[in-house]
Amino acid sequence: MTARFVDTTVLKTDRLTLRMPVLADWPAHRAFSMSDAAAPLGGPFDERSAWRMFAGLAGHWALHGYGWFAMQADEGVVGVCGLHFPPTHSDLEIGWVTYAPAQRKGYATEAARAALDWAWGWTDADRIVSFIDRDNTASQSVARRLGATCDGEAARHDPLCEVWVHERVAA
Amino acid sequence: MMIPTLTTERLTLRAPRLSDFAAHAAFKASPRAGFVGGISTEAEAWNHLCALIGQWQLRGYGRWMVAETATDRPMGVVGIHHPLDWPEAEIGWTVYADGEGKGYAYEAAKAARSYAYDTLGWSTIASFVNPDNTRSVTLARRMGCRPDGQHMHAVYGPLHIWRHPSPSELAA
Repeated sequence: MTARFVDTTVLKTDRLTLRMPVLADWPAHRAFSMSDAAAPLGGPFDERSAWRMFAGLAGHWALHGYGWFAMQADEGVVGVCGLHFPPTHSDLEIGWVTYAPAQRKGYATEAARAALDWAWGWTDADRIVSFIDRDNTASQSVARRLGATCDGEAARHDPLCEVWVHERVAA
Repeated sequence: MMIPTLTTERLTLRAPRLSDFAAHAAFKASPRAGFVGGISTEAEAWNHLCALIGQWQLRGYGRWMVAETATDRPMGVVGIHHPLDWPEAEIGWTVYADGEGKGYAYEAAKAARSYAYDTLGWSTIASFVNPDNTRSVTLARRMGCRPDGQHMHAVYGPLHIWRHPSPSELAA
């Protein structure tokens, strides 16, 4: 599956291929976005908003040269993961979403670890952050497994989110 | 960048860039955005710009940033818009304040229509216009479009469908 118009970056892990989102991923992403599982991201979202956010995952690549990937596993697309930097944010962020049927299998940790390794290769930043809702214990666990730390600092753009910091480790 | 670039007499239709965002956000924050979703915050404008680029990835066609070739300044967004809740793809046009009154939307929309017919090989395309948007209605007429019913949109209300001349009609 190759990207046609925005980017062609692909990352591989043991169980996942991280590749550009494609239209065939939409039903799974839609189901997630319109469900209560999207609450930590501000959802559930209506279909229009969900589509805009899904399309935006791919479009971000054209503006910054990086963005979000779809997480392709043998069982299908299991989530999205990647890096983004909207103008309202304070830092480069790594984020992840695992769709409900594929949760608790470690996919988000596996994908985010690969995406972080990739990002350290091109960013000059000493820290990459994850903005995680205070009540989102599943994502907090992923951040901990990735080695991120949190001192309770609130995200500038969203006071409901805390800043989890991934620090660059010297090679 | 894999989004194709089109050129017209005065304009370059190209992939949006980070440097275009300020102009896009200013447009989306202005009353000019009233016919295209209403006034947006900076965060919403960012999502909007990302999404219009991402449509290229998802659908294989999309909208371009229209830049004045002489200056590379962004003047608006024109191209093939196909959100989920549209019954078909359309030629859409949005012109920022700086690009108003120069015929840029007409020039860019003609290039986008040619792309739909000549490159994508489509045999028909429409534009969806809010009937209160008199400038857009005028442009649809100038493009040779004919009324072809309406689409009742859940958020925008009734949108008039303006059917563009077919490739054979344009060639005649």
